[in-house]
Amino acid sequence: MYHADPPEVTKKLREMFYSAHYVHSHIAHFYALAAPDFVLGPDADPAVRNILGVVDKVGLPIGGEVIKHRGIAQDIQVMIAGRSTHLVWTLPGGVSKGITEEERAQIEEKAKSCVEFSKFTLQLFDDVVLKNKAYVDLILSEPYQLKTYYMGLVDQNDKVNFYDGKIKVVDPEGKEVAKYTPSEYLDNIAEHVEPWSYLKFPYLKKVGWKGFVDGKESGVYRAAPAARLNAASGMATPLAQEAYEKYITTLGKPVHATLANHWARVIELMYASERLLELAQDKSITDPNVRILPTETPTEGVGVVEAPRGTLYHHYKTDKNGFVEKANLIVGTTNNHAPISMSIKKAAMGLIKKGQVISNGILNMIEMAFRAYDPCFSCATHSLPGQMPLKLTIYDIHGKVVEQLERA
Amino acid sequence: MDKPRVAFFDFASCEGDQLQIVNLEEDLLKVVGAVDVVSFREAMKGHSDNYDIAFVEGSITRRSDEPRLLEIRKNAKILVAIGACATIGGVNLLKNFQDLESVRKFVYGDKFFQYETYPARPIKAVVPVDLEIHQCPINRDEFVMAFKALLMGKKPEFPNYPVCEDCKKAENICVFEMGMTCMGPVTRAGCGACCVVEGSVCWGCRGFIDHPNADSEREVLAKYGLSVGDILKKFRLYTGFSEVSK
Repeated sequence: MYHADPPEVTKKLREMFYSAHYVHSHIAHFYALAAPDFVLGPDADPAVRNILGVVDKVGLPIGGEVIKHRGIAQDIQVMIAGRSTHLVWTLPGGVSKGITEEERAQIEEKAKSCVEFSKFTLQLFDDVVLKNKAYVDLILSEPYQLKTYYMGLVDQNDKVNFYDGKIKVVDPEGKEVAKYTPSEYLDNIAEHVEPWSYLKFPYLKKVGWKGFVDGKESGVYRAAPAARLNAASGMATPLAQEAYEKYITTLGKPVHATLANHWARVIELMYASERLLELAQDKSITDPNVRILPTETPTEGVGVVEAPRGTLYHHYKTDKNGFVEKANLIVGTTNNHAPISMSIKKAAMGLIKKGQVISNGILNMIEMAFRAYDPCFSCATHSLPGQMPLKLTIYDIHGKVVEQLERA
Repeated sequence: MDKPRVAFFDFASCEGDQLQIVNLEEDLLKVVGAVDVVSFREAMKGHSDNYDIAFVEGSITRRSDEPRLLEIRKNAKILVAIGACATIGGVNLLKNFQDLESVRKFVYGDKFFQYETYPARPIKAVVPVDLEIHQCPINRDEFVMAFKALLMGKKPEFPNYPVCEDCKKAENICVFEMGMTCMGPVTRAGCGACCVVEGSVCWGCRGFIDHPNADSEREVLAKYGLSVGDILKKFRLYTGFSEVSK
């Protein structure tokens, strides 16, 4: 847009900032949202099925480590960019300041700690989930499967990348169907609208919108951790690659299991930590030449990164004076809007049987279908203070209400 | 003594302010421990209408938002607006300078009429507000300070002098001297001039101080060949409400 390619060091700094962001975002999603379902169990009393319940079960020191590493990752962001939420250091053509050798050394130490914590988290996932056959069966059970297309950013070696690369899409069989640069996104994605939601429903333009259905004929695609691991051929760092291989060996590829997002997320936590450390150990990252001053009038540009919960598109177009006149954003979870709706429906239809008493556990298992995607939806949360409102209405084949259950 | 009952609500916003509260990490447990949180995010709708303090994030962008806000006002002894969207309308106000029909057509196509909207406004434009915690997003330390004061039954004090004062304390070079423009001279301090410290400029996200020195600001702008109109146009991101509320 500004016709100014930032210096290499700037790209490294931005990626470093972004890796730190992934670390705390994935920690929050896994420990606060996913772990209660697995550590305490989907049927556990909602009063304890939250992060405090997890801490109670796994021990206070571990709770301390969770909080500590979320804090560490945010400290790194503040050190690099001034603030962790709404950073203030990005500029056209670069950033406003670099980092000193002293700061680099501090980040290196913090990143090492994040790698250790990621190892612990992978082990915890192994012990709590993978060693429990009931949980593996649950992940692979039919109510939690959708066979959709998958999208993710890949580097030149076809590995998962959060910061830069090409957008790759694979079909429900795992075959590549598109690989495009950010500026080509409008050739590949269109958006469907429904009157009941301000949020739109992106789909693959060349396949087309066929409604809320999965399969190869439907343009519905998924983004976020499991989708990224489906789209790419592996991870770019050694420990994350090792974890990825175990994941693929256990679940096959492509992975259609919605709940596998939690496992993929923990693998990505390891990648983000390792990448953070790699960048912190790159001595050239303290180069102070962090900006190229743009001299041309800005025109039009598209930027794409992988946000923790899906591919993020920013598109800006200016008038002849360089003022923005058009902007279009497709943000992480928006990609998954149709699949989230479909996953809830499928889980509800699969878990509720005729004549069955609907327990709190079943309601929670329906929630689990969308908790796998995003903590940003307020309804995805079972963190403090403990529960979400859920209204369940069962209709018979003629549209007559058979049973209604409401939890405030 | 019963713990104060606290509720959190949001309207049109990115929820960045509630995220700042969640990001208090160790302090969050202390904050939560000192009160009964009866509602957090709209997820707890209907759970309890009995609360003492309501923290409200976001701006009001639809007529149908108003009854909900009036209900919160009715229930809360103290209503606190948190973050720039709630205190000064924030980024959402940018749409007020566009034709709302064509904006909706651009986003939703020919079904645009199904999507309700009206000019965005801060909380105080709809109901009386007892306290405003500014900034985009709010500053965690300032939130904790205000929270503690409220629990002790005191009204927290916020700076009522311009960001320039914070900036001088931080030993920054004035950004006007570096050929850029800045909202610092008229914006409420308390942020430590964090944006200028990091090499950017002040965008005015904490809103104007109560009595900005307009003459001095005009002089500063004139010295650098700018007018008040120029600067308001550039910084409309956070000054929109002051324009439309005149």
